Amino acid sequence: MFAALSQRRRLLLILLPVAGATQICLAHAILMESTPKINSTVQGPDLDITLRFNVRIDGSRSRILLVAEDGTSTPLTLAKQSKPNILQMHASGLKPGAYKLQWNVLAVDGHMSKGDVPFTVK
Amino acid sequence: MLVKLVDLFSFLSVVLRAGTLVFQSVLLGGVMFVLWTARYSPDASEDSIARVQASSWKLLRWSAVGLAVVQLFYLYVDSAVLMASADIPFRWVVGANFFLSGTIVLVAALFTALVAGGSKKVASRALPVLVLVIMSASVMTNHAASRLEQRLLLITLSSVHELATGFWIGGLPFLVLGLFRAKDLDTRWYITERFSRMAVLSVGALATSGLVMSILYIGSWGGILGTAYGIMVLAKATMLGALLVLGGVNFLLLRDFPKDQVMPRLRRLIEAEVGIGITVILTAASLTSQPPAVDQVSDTVTMGQLWQRFKPEVPRLSYRFLPETDPKISKPIQPSDPQAVNVDGTPLTPRLINNSIESESNHHWMGVVVLAMGLLALLARTGKAPWAEYWPLLLIGMAVFIVLFADTECWPVGRKSVGACFADPEVFQHRLAALVCVGFAVFELRVRKQKKENDPWAMVFPLMCAFGGAVLLTHQHAIKNVKETSLVELSHVPMGVLAVFAGWARWLELRLPEENRAIPSWIWPACFVLIGAGLMNYREM
Repeated sequence: MFAALSQRRRLLLILLPVAGATQICLAHAILMESTPKINSTVQGPDLDITLRFNVRIDGSRSRILLVAEDGTSTPLTLAKQSKPNILQMHASGLKPGAYKLQWNVLAVDGHMSKGDVPFTVK
Repeated sequence: MLVKLVDLFSFLSVVLRAGTLVFQSVLLGGVMFVLWTARYSPDASEDSIARVQASSWKLLRWSAVGLAVVQLFYLYVDSAVLMASADIPFRWVVGANFFLSGTIVLVAALFTALVAGGSKKVASRALPVLVLVIMSASVMTNHAASRLEQRLLLITLSSVHELATGFWIGGLPFLVLGLFRAKDLDTRWYITERFSRMAVLSVGALATSGLVMSILYIGSWGGILGTAYGIMVLAKATMLGALLVLGGVNFLLLRDFPKDQVMPRLRRLIEAEVGIGITVILTAASLTSQPPAVDQVSDTVTMGQLWQRFKPEVPRLSYRFLPETDPKISKPIQPSDPQAVNVDGTPLTPRLINNSIESESNHHWMGVVVLAMGLLALLARTGKAPWAEYWPLLLIGMAVFIVLFADTECWPVGRKSVGACFADPEVFQHRLAALVCVGFAVFELRVRKQKKENDPWAMVFPLMCAFGGAVLLTHQHAIKNVKETSLVELSHVPMGVLAVFAGWARWLELRLPEENRAIPSWIWPACFVLIGAGLMNYREM
């Protein structure tokens, strides 16, 4: 029965035993620099994306989502890390409009952090 | 829903990290204590040492079991958060650093528990190795492991820091237990004297490694008061200073007084050291979830911004709110003419201003009550105003304030019915807090009127103060609006430290022999006065 549930529901089941209500944000890895820059306008339709953090990042256990104006999100495939604190990826076929890069990264010391990079494609 | 659960688990992760550090330190301290401090010697009675050893091995076993249990939860919680946030299956989590480190600590802790329960000869050889394994694995989830520069140096410093913390602070519970279990004065003297020697070395290592790490992680004078990381380091250093004062008093007592006069005082001082020491470890755990100040140069609060927020002002004791919507167009009013700004000078909307007005007024009213409690307790301490002994009644005033003003939409001042109010978890928590205040008032009044020696109820108030302070120091940190978070921390962290000091000073007043109670009996009311003053000057805009 457990296996028949979607991954999201399974996670909810895993997390529920100690559920409560609180609103907090863990903070550890900080985005020091990004391409595209936060709130910048870039030329489409192809885009090379680089995120530089203050600490070493476990790229294989991090997720970057490209969220379009209509809310649809696409996970981006990360290239092999050239430096331990840099994540690189490529997005193609971007239509003009507002986008958001949603990053969820795992630092090498085990702390998870998240954030957004909003930008516009002209 | 999923996001909220992930956030909750992130918070739990910090709590479990705190639990890991506490149990790990106690385990390290225990190993040092059983293998070196409380060794058999001609200077101490064999029978007495055997009693000390037996209880220490038992505590060591339980600390190892505690570490294993906390580690199991830590692995579960962190794995669940990673699976949810990175959307990956469990098999991918297994290779993550935190998972490897946690598993190693879990297995080593279980081995420690097993070994500590068996042959002591085998244990004395295996324990140093297991301690080394636990330490090495633990450092894998430390700030140092993820740094880009000076990684090896930072890993070495972190290891020294954690080892010294364990040997000294983690060893204190074993010393308290040992002093309780040792039957004769000579044995108590023997273990205290040996522990003291080891503690002096550990303090040196702890302070040196801590100082170098602070320089490397904070990076500038401005970062000390201008970032949450710097403020937490300052809080940790202040509490460490208090521990050093207590340790220094112990040292002088051991050096200058005869054994039979020293021991009763020493035991009580060490109890307070255990409490403050564990709070220091909890603060360290909170620190590990913070980005170092050196990485937050653009988010460091300037001295000008600090002065703007903390310069003394008349407390806001009224709840005069601004209109939030324009009645002509029925839309939220935008801050065209700024009436209040945030730390960066950005104008706030009427809604945000009203939220701040409510929060500030609540803090200021609480400040009035706490300040009055402290002043009355000081007055009572002079012995010239016996009526001031009734200061705990102010806690009932605080309870009434919570019921009336914390949830203005609820009974008895609002429209919401009693049933509907209690169904709201936040209101329920507030009402429960009010009830706890009333309970405290009754207990503390009873304690003050009856004045019984060794009354266990008397310990409730100091322990709750110390616990409240520890909670303030171990809370979660938000990353959004980093500067505002730093300012909130700067106002709350000193209150947390003062609450910890107030709690343990009151503890000492109750526990020390009567002729030694003078200093702590002045300290805790003074801490209350300072907390009250801090609350009355709390601002959010």
